[in-house]
Amino acid sequence: MADILGRVVATERRPNTPHQFHFWTALDAPVGIGTIVRVEGTDPVAGQLPQVYGVVVEGFSYSDLESPLHDVLGADGAPERAGRAATRRTEIRLYTANVLRHIPDDPLQPVALGAVYLAADADVAIALRMDAYLKEGSRTAIPVGLYRAGATASPIHLDADFLLGPEAAHLNISGVSGLATKTSAVEWLLASIFAHFPDKKGSVAALCFNVKGPDLCFLDQPATRLDASDLELYARLGVPAEPFTNVRYYAPYTARGYTLNTLRSHEALAHNVQPLTWGLREVLEYAEVLLNKDDVDAKADALIDFIRERVVDQEFRDDLLGEPRRVQSFTDLERWFSDLLKAMEAKDRESWRTHHVATIRKVRNRLTNISTRCAGLVTDDGTVSDLPWGKFEDRGVYVIDVAKQEEDAQDLIFARVITQLRERLEKRALGVDHVVVFVDELNKYAPSDGPDTYVRKMLLDVSERGRYLGLVLFAAQQFRSQVHRRVVGNAGTALFGRMDSDELATPGYATLPPATRTKLSTLDKGELMVRHPHFTQPVFVRFPRPAVLSGREGVERFPQASEPTLDEAIVRALRQLDRTVTLEWVKETIALAEEDEVLRARNRTQQARPEDVKAFFRAQLKRRVAPEVMAPRPRPAIRTGPADDPYAF
Amino acid sequence: MTADESLGSAWRMAESYAPRAGGASVRASAAILRGLPGASVVSVLGVDATAPSLESLDPAGGTPVSVAPASPLESGRLETRAVAPAVTPGFTAFLDGIQRSVVIGQLGGLVPVVHGTVGAVVRVRRERVLSTWRDGALVARALYLPLTRLDAATRAACEAGGIALVDTGEEGDPAHPHGRLASARLAIQRAREEAESKLAMAWCAAGGGPLYVDGSISGFGEAALSPLAVGVVKSHRTLYVPAPDVPLLAGLAVGSRTTAFAVDARRRARIASWYLRLRSGDGADPFSGLVRVEIAESAFSPARADDVSDWVLAERQPVALPDPRWRAMAYGIRDCEEYLRAVAD
Repeated sequence: MADILGRVVATERRPNTPHQFHFWTALDAPVGIGTIVRVEGTDPVAGQLPQVYGVVVEGFSYSDLESPLHDVLGADGAPERAGRAATRRTEIRLYTANVLRHIPDDPLQPVALGAVYLAADADVAIALRMDAYLKEGSRTAIPVGLYRAGATASPIHLDADFLLGPEAAHLNISGVSGLATKTSAVEWLLASIFAHFPDKKGSVAALCFNVKGPDLCFLDQPATRLDASDLELYARLGVPAEPFTNVRYYAPYTARGYTLNTLRSHEALAHNVQPLTWGLREVLEYAEVLLNKDDVDAKADALIDFIRERVVDQEFRDDLLGEPRRVQSFTDLERWFSDLLKAMEAKDRESWRTHHVATIRKVRNRLTNISTRCAGLVTDDGTVSDLPWGKFEDRGVYVIDVAKQEEDAQDLIFARVITQLRERLEKRALGVDHVVVFVDELNKYAPSDGPDTYVRKMLLDVSERGRYLGLVLFAAQQFRSQVHRRVVGNAGTALFGRMDSDELATPGYATLPPATRTKLSTLDKGELMVRHPHFTQPVFVRFPRPAVLSGREGVERFPQASEPTLDEAIVRALRQLDRTVTLEWVKETIALAEEDEVLRARNRTQQARPEDVKAFFRAQLKRRVAPEVMAPRPRPAIRTGPADDPYAF
Repeated sequence: MTADESLGSAWRMAESYAPRAGGASVRASAAILRGLPGASVVSVLGVDATAPSLESLDPAGGTPVSVAPASPLESGRLETRAVAPAVTPGFTAFLDGIQRSVVIGQLGGLVPVVHGTVGAVVRVRRERVLSTWRDGALVARALYLPLTRLDAATRAACEAGGIALVDTGEEGDPAHPHGRLASARLAIQRAREEAESKLAMAWCAAGGGPLYVDGSISGFGEAALSPLAVGVVKSHRTLYVPAPDVPLLAGLAVGSRTTAFAVDARRRARIASWYLRLRSGDGADPFSGLVRVEIAESAFSPARADDVSDWVLAERQPVALPDPRWRAMAYGIRDCEEYLRAVAD
C-alpha cells in the first residue's frame, strides 16, 4: 500500500469542483508543480469507490501569522534570531490540482475529501489515458519522456495515431533559443518514433530542413556527451542510444559552384552529401514562389503559363523564330527570349501571340534572373540533382541544408519539396507511408502577420490536410505567438521548453495557471511541458540528450573544408563516385576546358552516376585538339653572291 | 496501552476527518432535543457551532481579583533576579486545554441547558517541530444541567442520541438564572482541568521530559508533584505578593524573575512559584508580559528556578501572534490551542 501523500481539503471559500481540487501535504512531501496524484474517495458512487487523478498546477505555503510584521517583531528585526527559535512556526503546504480523469467518469462529481497518493506508473497511464494505446495488440505508444515525482519515474507516451495521423497530427515546439531544447527534442523524438512506430501503421521517414548553422548536420554521428542519466532514460524509454543509421544530406552549391553550400563539408562526411540542384522545368512550376503579385499580373501570368505548357521541354515552332526551338534550361530560355524580341524588333511588332512586348520583356527579366537569385540551387544548364522521389526509405532521414541559402532559394526549396511530398503521398508514390517534415524558425515561414506568402499557404495546407496523407509537420519556433494561429492550432501535440516571460504573457498562454507559466520560464535543459490530445492537462517530462553529435561539437570535430580550387572541387565530387580519380587526372583532363564547362560536366556526372565515371566526365567536355609542338622547319640558306660579282648586294 | 485506554473510556480521542468523536456536537445535540415528540421540558434555542461561547462573552468567568498570602522560599522578602538568556530550549512538550460553553436551550424557562466542549492535548517537540503526543487530543462534549429537572423521556432521548449528560446539581443561586450558568461553566472548567490533569499525569508517568503547561499545575494531582511539569500562568487575578510589593512586581524588568514563594491552596498541591517578566507591558496592563511559573515544591531550588525561567524565556520565539495574549504566551501553547480548535470545536 502506498503511503498517503496528503489529504483533499475543501472550504466554503475554496471549494473543490469536478475539475479542480485542493490538498495539503507534509512539508517534506515530494510534490511540486506538475506532480500527478491520485485521490481515493471514501464513499462509493454507483457501487464504485471514486478515483480521481490530477496534476498539481499551483502550490501555496503559509503560516499561522496574520502579518509578516509579526514575524519581524517576534525576532526583534534580526532574521538570524528567527532561525534560532525553539519551535518552528506551523506551516502549511497547500496544493491545487487540475483533474486529469475521473473513474468512474459518470456522474461527474466534485472531488471528494479523500486521501491523496503519489501516482505510480499504472496511475500515470490511467490519468493520462495512455492505457488505451499501451495495450498489447493495439499499442501505438511513442515515448516522449520520463515523468518524475519523488521516487516515481514513469514513461510518458504519445499516441502515434494522434502524432502522425490520421486522428490528429503535427507537433509544435516552442522554447527560447540557446538551450538546445527545440532541436534536441526533435532529434530525440524522431529516434523514439523510429524505434516505436508500429509496423502495422506502415513506414515512416523524416525530412528535415536545416535552417540555421550546423544544427542538423551530424545526425549520423554518435554523441560524445551522453552520461549515465541519459543512458538510463534511453533504456527506460526503450530507445537505442545510437545516431540515425540512414541519413542523407542535400545542399545546393555555392554561387561559385565549386562546393556544396553546407557546414557538412568535411571530406570524411562527404559520402552521404549530395547536391540539390534544379533546372528550368523544376523551377518554372514554382515560379509564383519567387514572383510576387507586383511582378506577375494577369498578363505576365498568362505568358508564364504559355511558356510552361508550350515552350519548355518540347519542340517549339513559330514563324517569327524560324527554326524550331527546344528550351530545356535557363540558357535556352534566355536565348529564346532574346531571339523572339530581336525578331519582333526586326518586324516592328509590338505583340506576339497576344503578348505585348513589354510583358515579354518583364517576364524575361523576372524569369531569367531566378538563376542568379538562386545561384547554386538553380542551374542554367538544366542539370538536376534531386531528392530520391519515389525511393524514400523506411526510417530514413533526409536533411536539406538551406542554412546558407538566400531567402528566395529557401522559399523555393520549401515550396517544391513539400509540394512534391504532398503529391507523391497522395499517389502513394513516395516510398514511405508517412513523412515527418521538420521546420525550425516557423515564425519566419508561417508568421502570424505579414504578407500571405506561398510558403505560408503551403504550410497551412499541410497543417490542415497533411494528416490524411501521412504528411506530418514538426515545427519549432522561439515565439509561438508569432506563428500563424491555424498552423499552431492544427498541431495536435505541443512541446514547450523554457519560455520567455514576455512570450508567456501573451494571450495564448492565458489558460495555463500562473505557477505552470512560472515553471515554464524556469525549465531546465532537457525538460519539456507536453500537450497531447489524450492529456487533459499539460504534463512535464524529461528527455535524454540526443544520441547524435551536436552541431557545435560537429563543426569542431569535422571542421569545414577550405574553399577548394576548381581542380580540387572536381576531385572531391568525382571521388564520391570513383575512388581512382586523382588530382593529376583531373588537372590533365580539364586543362583546356572552360570553368562553366567543367562544372557542367561534373554536375552531369553526379546526376548520371555512370559506371565509368572518368569516361563519362571526359565525354561531357568539348573535344579539343591538343596543341602539337612543331619542330621548326629548316630555313633555306640565303644564297650568297659570288664573291667576284661587284653588283651583288 | 494507548492514551485512550490509560485515561478511561469516558474520553475519546478525536481524529481529523473521522466522524466527530467525544460526544454530540452543539448542532447534533440541539437537533436531538428539537426532535423530541410532544412537549418537552427543554425549549431549544436556534444555536449552532458558530454561536458565541460563554467564554468569549465573559473571559474572566466572574473570578474576583485578590491578593493571596504566599510563603517565601528563597528569601524573606520579595526580590528580583536577572535570568541569563537561554541557550537550549528545555521543554520537550506543551500541554493546554480548551473549553467552549454554549447555551442551547432552557429547562423550564429558567434553567439554562449548556453544551460544553472540553479538550486537552500534549504537543511534543521533535527537532523544532510540534506534533501530537500519542493518539491525539482528549475531547469530551456533554450537556451540563441539573439532571433532577430533566424528565425521563428527554433523558432517554439524549442517551439514545449519544449526548452525555453532566449533572450540575442544585449549586448556584436558583433564584438567579446566571447562578445556574455559573454552575454549568464551573463544571465545564473542572472537566477541562480534569482532561489536562489526566494528560499531565500520563506524560509525567511516561517520563517524557519537561512539560510546559498552560496555567496552574497545582490541581494536577500526581503531576503537580513531578519535576517534569512546569505551569506557566498568564492571568493574575490573584496576586501572590504582599500588597506593598505589587509595584515591584509591576516594574519587573524583562528577563527577570522574582524570588520564589510557595503557593498552598485548598485541595491542591503545594507548589513553588515565582513571577517572570517575558516582555514589557503594553502600557494599559502593568502585568501584561508577566507570567507566574509553577513547579513542584519538592523540585525547587534557586538554580532550578533559574533554569526553568531560562526555558520559559526561550519560548518567547516564535512569537505567538496573532493571539492577543501573545506577550505572555508561548508559541507551543498557541499551537496546542490551534490544534484543539481544529479537532474539537
